[in-house]
Amino acid sequence: MITITINEKKITLEKPVTILEAARSAGIHIPTLCHEDILEPYGGCRLCLVEVEKVPRLLSACTQYITEGMVVRTETERVIEARRAILEFLLINHPLDCSFCDKAGECDLQDLAMKYGPATGRFAEGKRKHPESYDDPLIVRNMERCVLCSKCVRMCEDVQGASALCITNRGSKSYVEPFSGGRYNCEYCGNCLTVCPVGAIMSGLHRHDYRSWLIEREVETVCSYCGVGCSLLLQIRGNSLIRTVPKIGRGLNRGLLCSKGRFGYDYISNSERLDTPLIRRNGELQPAAWSEAITHIARRLKEIKENHGSDAIAGIVSGRCTNEDAYVFQKFFRGAIGTNNIDSVASLAYGPAQRFFERIFGQGVTANDIHGISNSDGIFVIGGDPTGINPVLGLQVRSACKKGAPVVVMGYAEGLKRFSKHAFITNSTTETVLLASLVSEIKKKKSLPGERPVFEEIISGLQPVPLKDASEMSGFGLNDLVDTVDTLSNMINPSIIVGRDIVQTSTGHMSLLFLAALAYLLNGRIYLLSELPNEQGLLDMGCQPDMLPSGRPLTIETFRTRCEETLGIAIPSTPGLNYVEMIEAAHAGRIKALYVMGEDTVQGLPDRNYVSDALRNVEFLVVQDMFLTETAQYADVVLPSLSWAEKEGSYTNLERRVQLTKKAVEGEGIEEWKIISEMSKILGLDMGYRSVTDIFTEIVRISHIYREITYNDITSGRCMWPYKGGPLRHDVHIEGIELPDIVSVMKNADESGVQVRREAHLFHSQNASRYSPALQSISPEPYVKMSETLAGRLSLRDGEHVKVVTEAGSITLSVHRDPCLPENVVLIPPFEKGGIFEITKWKVNPVTKAPALDGNRVIIET
Amino acid sequence: MTFKHLVKTVFLTEIVKGMALTLKTMLTRPVTRQYPKEKRPAMPGFRGLHGLVRDQQTGEARCVGCGLCAAICPSKCIYIYTADSLDHKKIVERYEIEALRCVFCGLCVEACPYSAVILTEHYEYSDYSREAFYMTKEKLLANWDNYMGWEKNMEYFKKFWHPTADDFGFPKNQAVFRGKQNAR
Ligand code: SF4
Ligand code: SF4
Ligand code: SF4
Ligand code: SF4
Ligand code: SF4
Ligand code: FES
Repeated sequence: MITITINEKKITLEKPVTILEAARSAGIHIPTLCHEDILEPYGGCRLCLVEVEKVPRLLSACTQYITEGMVVRTETERVIEARRAILEFLLINHPLDCSFCDKAGECDLQDLAMKYGPATGRFAEGKRKHPESYDDPLIVRNMERCVLCSKCVRMCEDVQGASALCITNRGSKSYVEPFSGGRYNCEYCGNCLTVCPVGAIMSGLHRHDYRSWLIEREVETVCSYCGVGCSLLLQIRGNSLIRTVPKIGRGLNRGLLCSKGRFGYDYISNSERLDTPLIRRNGELQPAAWSEAITHIARRLKEIKENHGSDAIAGIVSGRCTNEDAYVFQKFFRGAIGTNNIDSVASLAYGPAQRFFERIFGQGVTANDIHGISNSDGIFVIGGDPTGINPVLGLQVRSACKKGAPVVVMGYAEGLKRFSKHAFITNSTTETVLLASLVSEIKKKKSLPGERPVFEEIISGLQPVPLKDASEMSGFGLNDLVDTVDTLSNMINPSIIVGRDIVQTSTGHMSLLFLAALAYLLNGRIYLLSELPNEQGLLDMGCQPDMLPSGRPLTIETFRTRCEETLGIAIPSTPGLNYVEMIEAAHAGRIKALYVMGEDTVQGLPDRNYVSDALRNVEFLVVQDMFLTETAQYADVVLPSLSWAEKEGSYTNLERRVQLTKKAVEGEGIEEWKIISEMSKILGLDMGYRSVTDIFTEIVRISHIYREITYNDITSGRCMWPYKGGPLRHDVHIEGIELPDIVSVMKNADESGVQVRREAHLFHSQNASRYSPALQSISPEPYVKMSETLAGRLSLRDGEHVKVVTEAGSITLSVHRDPCLPENVVLIPPFEKGGIFEITKWKVNPVTKAPALDGNRVIIET
Repeated sequence: MTFKHLVKTVFLTEIVKGMALTLKTMLTRPVTRQYPKEKRPAMPGFRGLHGLVRDQQTGEARCVGCGLCAAICPSKCIYIYTADSLDHKKIVERYEIEALRCVFCGLCVEACPYSAVILTEHYEYSDYSREAFYMTKEKLLANWDNYMGWEKNMEYFKKFWHPTADDFGFPKNQAVFRGKQNAR
């Protein structure tokens, strides 16, 4: 207990904190310019000076820790005089262009100058000149306004870990500049602009569009780009979204964002958005009225149901749909159409991985708090780059690394290059072998905990793969592998982060088993990277061909009947087709009608030509989307949909935290759930919802895991898994998991040629990002990343164009040389034009049912 | 009833007095103005219809869209929409005043650091539609041209608003802080 006096007020604190924190806890305001809670104390601006009794000079409150009996005064003559002097110095070179500076009204310097500042300047000399830099498409730097608090630099280096900025020059000539010069070459997280206290670093997206006091409303919502679900504030004037800003200290991101959340919101005002339904007449998509489109769809679905049976109809949901929309959609398919042919994009990787782990460890095993990552003492990343797919989660990995936790990466992770102790990049079969070998070595070092005897039997039954063999096969040094085994075995509470690349291979099911074994042996928490905001929600809502809401298998009679009774519908008992199977069935002509809600199937699946053929084959294709996507161009009816900022709903993120997305602006269109219920009414099932709350109430009633939650609970942030202790499904059924025959995998491995793998790109989420001009402006032209040796052999330089050829086709891409890559792997991101999926084909993994991409070999033609 | 009262009543003195006043007034100059034939000149500093100052050099509105007038306006009847121009300057796309809601407090004029919005001496703007009172940027600039102009404007400002920008000009190459003391 430490007792101090601030401004004659006695304060007792438990821990020695800084004077600033002590004062804030007592509600006393001390001005600051260079202090930020999430950054280390810096003590650079001296505005927080306070007077401490018995100390002759003034002390900076942000760096000085309290001691027993300290007497502090924060607003004495002397302190105010000092602050005035500092402000006078700061203003010497300040351009005082508040009238056109977008920061005005929310600028710390302006507020302080109003409060303490001198009314006139005494300096007759000219001011420092530094032209505003417009070189970057998104970030505008005006270094005349900079007060050199260095918050941006510290943010970029300490928190974001990108180290892209620095203070250049000395004294009054100093300014902040990215290392790359005028244009940024960084992660565009925008966190530097969040912390800049003045208008020196600002977003160019809404430059000069607003004054902070003209913003009329703020809506707190969650980001619509990935499965992390960061909280953001949408600021609105009239009916237009002015900007998104992070909410400092709120939400699971605590005010940090990534490029997509920060700059990617502008797709909602893209002029290409559809505003009226389109119906294909005489081969052309023509505008139609809403009522006409809805009745047309209902009538056609009815016809097809009568002529070909319910199972000739299938539905696909995108990971951008809210829980409510997804729930209504699957209810429509099960209840009104009478088929279980309902699936979502979650079944491409996230779902199968989760299902596999839950099968072994029980429901909810992947629902772990994201903040736990930075507290773990070791991290194992496999199958995807967390800093690219779920950037704010990726920051946790970097933060753990800064605290000293070793990071071991398997697979390509651009954003973790400088943070990983060991990184193994290789082709997917070798990856599985490597994993098997790590597990078999760790098994020797660690004893089995004995919690799950059945699973332990499997672990003991795994074929041993000596490190030497793995080293030979993969080409990684034996010492590296031995050290990795040591590093991993020394971890006590590691985080194991799993991305989709590990699932989408023909040995994916084996890799998942080894991962489960690894997690079990190391006592690790499993995190699944999720590329879309609501993949988890889709699984929870029952958008799966063999699962009902809350992840209960369809085949369990009791639950199905309970569902049927509660909802008053009949649910067919045979599981339907999954996403990939639907496309295959469509290709074979067995699916007559396909309803795609929000997903661009052509772009999202690995084989574009095949998928296009399949969609052309479908007799009646309905696509609901914001834009006329490639999939929509094949449709018979296109319905415009609302963006995430235009409707209410909830998203469940990858840690199973339910969060609300709120309506911020009015959009052209009708909510998805309304459209579906209208159709359902015509087909004879009246769902009778009046609002999203009605739907949510029904979800809560039917779903075990969402039991008793209300929108109020969600708003107050209490909806973390397991919600209110709802009963989990404990039916682990490890029996039937086949022991992988890794030896024959090694023997039959096809090591020839160069394998093409997907690189998850930071600025490309493969959905809405495509329609965001801001994200498009920062992302590079389509490229192929290859190793130095391969590029050297073909004598290719960076930026040169090459033709990448596979069995499925060829594309021309520019070359990026990357010394980290092995010779037998090239990486291509999923860009819209020149993306990996133009030249790949898939095979289905027999166990996980996920599309496997590993058979794709490329030839580089110069 | 007193005697005095009796005399008043009998001789109708009140009426005589009244008639005398009437007679006197008939012979003086009339105070009634024959409006609208005869207009009353506005007093200096009169707060009439709004205008946007046209810059002498550029011929454009002097307003930079800083939004201070909109911020201070007690009836919130000023709407400003700005944008970034191709050469990265701030441009005022729309500047609108809903004159029917204005209370003519003059705070907008006082707040403007560029002396760019003024209240002219024009007060005759009755009309049949509400739209006519919705002042767009063009209308406001025309108001200034028609009812104010530069000479009057200078005087008006010097006398009444003690402008912060005493030269009525844009800041030269960069803004320089000019305190109120220096301006006078
Ligand atoms: S946007 Fe992010 S990565 Fe780029 S300079 Fe700013 S803080 Fe650093
Ligand atoms: S640019 Fe902003 S955050 Fe960075 S040093 Fe200057 S004032 Fe501080
Ligand atoms: S990490 Fe994901 S949820 Fe957070 S801002 Fe980025 S895209 Fe949005
Ligand atoms: S005179 Fe007053 S009420 Fe009228 S526009 Fe100006 S600030 Fe608003
Ligand atoms: S205060 Fe003056 S410069 Fe600023 S917006 Fe109003 S009229 Fe324009
Ligand atoms: S806030 Fe304490 S020195 Fe800047």
